[in-house]
Amino acid sequence: MDILIYGIINSFSLALIAIGFSLVYGISRLPNFAHGALYVITGFIVWSLLNFLKINYLLSIILSLIITGIIGAAIYQFILIRVRGMAVSEIIASYAIGLAMLEGFRWGGFKGMTYTLPVFIRGSIEISGIPIDFQRILLVLIGGLVVFFLWAFTHYNRIGLALRGIAQDERAAMMLGIDSDMMALVAMALGSILAGLAAVVLLPMGNIVVEAGYSVLILAIAVCIVGGLGSWVGAILAAFMIGFAQIITVKYIASHFHMVVAFLAIIITLILRPSGLFGRQKELEERV
Amino acid sequence: MKTRFFAALVILLAVFITLPTYSALAVKPIVLGCPLSTAFLYGWDAERAITLAVEEINAAGGVNVAGKKRPFKVEVIDTRDLEPGVPVSEALLVVEKLILEKKADFILGGPVRSEAAMAAMDLLSKYKKVSMLTTGVLTPKYHARVAEEYDKFKYCFRITGEAVWMVTGEIIPCLLDIGKRFGVDRLFIMIQDVAHARAGGGIIAKVMAKKGWHVIGEPEIYPTGTTDFSMGLIKAKKESAQVILIWMDMPETSILLKQWYDMKVPALPFGSIIAAAEQPGFWKATEGKGEYCLANVVNAGNAPCNATPWTMKFFNAYKKRWNIEPEGYGTSTSYMGPYVFKDAIERAGSLKSDAVVKALEKIDMMGVYGRIRFDPKSHQVIPSVDPEEGAVGTIFQWQAGKRIVVFPKKIAMGEIQLPPWMK
Repeated sequence: MDILIYGIINSFSLALIAIGFSLVYGISRLPNFAHGALYVITGFIVWSLLNFLKINYLLSIILSLIITGIIGAAIYQFILIRVRGMAVSEIIASYAIGLAMLEGFRWGGFKGMTYTLPVFIRGSIEISGIPIDFQRILLVLIGGLVVFFLWAFTHYNRIGLALRGIAQDERAAMMLGIDSDMMALVAMALGSILAGLAAVVLLPMGNIVVEAGYSVLILAIAVCIVGGLGSWVGAILAAFMIGFAQIITVKYIASHFHMVVAFLAIIITLILRPSGLFGRQKELEERV
Repeated sequence: MKTRFFAALVILLAVFITLPTYSALAVKPIVLGCPLSTAFLYGWDAERAITLAVEEINAAGGVNVAGKKRPFKVEVIDTRDLEPGVPVSEALLVVEKLILEKKADFILGGPVRSEAAMAAMDLLSKYKKVSMLTTGVLTPKYHARVAEEYDKFKYCFRITGEAVWMVTGEIIPCLLDIGKRFGVDRLFIMIQDVAHARAGGGIIAKVMAKKGWHVIGEPEIYPTGTTDFSMGLIKAKKESAQVILIWMDMPETSILLKQWYDMKVPALPFGSIIAAAEQPGFWKATEGKGEYCLANVVNAGNAPCNATPWTMKFFNAYKKRWNIEPEGYGTSTSYMGPYVFKDAIERAGSLKSDAVVKALEKIDMMGVYGRIRFDPKSHQVIPSVDPEEGAVGTIFQWQAGKRIVVFPKKIAMGEIQLPPWMK
């Protein structure tokens, strides 16, 4: 039972972390290596709004998500748009932006273990004798809602449909009048908001540290590679595979192999199916 | 016109001639090169403590080197060695840069991670540079290596505690005391996947088993950066652990304690090394969830107590200078570093490495955390549970938002308490 409960929690954590990265790549083919930095930046924004401006917690969260979305859009509009289509340059540029943001925070004094956010609801319950706190239950609920929202958004909303169109066939979508750059901008903003949402849900369980930016990026990449770069469904499925594999490893093998699982998953995927579970990048080559 | 031109030329010449003379007369500072992982606790607190001590020493006139007063100058470079992955090579480059570019007379502080400090020993030996570790580095191999190859590594000193004494002289006696007082004997060990924690956790498991405690399974080892400890804590709860021994220096330990509180695990958390809980801001950061957590800050002075008359003087000076209480286990020791060098240099009457080594070997001064003397063979500071006899450690417990020193008895400010869900 503990494997099931904490497997689900861990899987939704990974899904929340990775879904924004997957969304941006799926639509604009941009590997946003600033994803981890956007995660951390949201945490620090909420913390600053709460502690310096003494703004209500919920309002702080909403404001921080808006700010993060704007930052993401600005990163695309002012920097990434110039290198779009040049894969290596995109990686270098986005990683450099992320690095500058994270190390900027460190340089600015945001270091240490005392930056934390309050949990949404204090307390815990026991399910079949397994203790679980309300924040983790909320994590699962919010994770589920995000998945549902994304599905509904991309199936019933004009912008969402346009995003899907670009993701499926950029040229065909452009011929139908969909602005590719505008959609990439929207995707980047939405991806940043999703990174921020992951931060506001996950960070209250720990603390806001610069190093989280790097580990979150690694996990997001691992999930997306296994699931197939750009496939949202793949990312969610991969999050569940890695999430449960990590918990089973901790329970039956050894806790220190926890991180190895993610890296092993990348290696196995790259050997057996380089485009991932639902990726289409090298599908034809693989078949050949 | 000619006369004016001539006069101006003479004045200019006079200025040029006298300038070098003045700069030669200016006192050359003694450079303390500090390789520290400044983005992390054990790094930034060490930098602050060294800066404070140097400011005090310089304000009092500096260091008397053979009759000439010279100030200390601190050169800090970030080694980043506390980051996940432990970039040892980067730390080595920093040490070399301090020696060659910054012309450090002495190396003080780090490298902070045991792996990096061990690797730096050869470099210090190559340049014959006297070094004093004041923070991090708990591995007993460091001073064992000095004792084994004295002539090569005689330049290496450590003024902070090390794992063997910490375990046998402080942690185990404290655990046995807890066992006796509260009738508990089931120990669960959670450690970080780094050299000192693996070694320390392993030793504690073996010794406590010999002492009659029931050690539950093998120590649970977590990689640096782990953010979920639920499975380990569930195991601890299922196996009826009564004390959870934690040995981790990563910031994520606050997650562990929050999870411990949320799950109401009926076991006392005992941080042999628990970076998050050492910090004064821990209470606020965990919204009080870390109450009852015991934390070892290795050296006295890092939590309020009256080990020596200098302890609270340092504690208050640090608080006044940095607007925060001493933060980690390497704070008081890093503060003492410049004072110990000052004493040794003044007795040696020189900055020459061999002379300073001899002077350091004979040092005997009452510091912030007790009597400071080095073992002449291993260059490890001599520990004790009595500040009159040697350098004392500190184990405190978070109680009602305060860090209350509970061990050793000689410097205790209160008694250990159990969380209400354990009673």
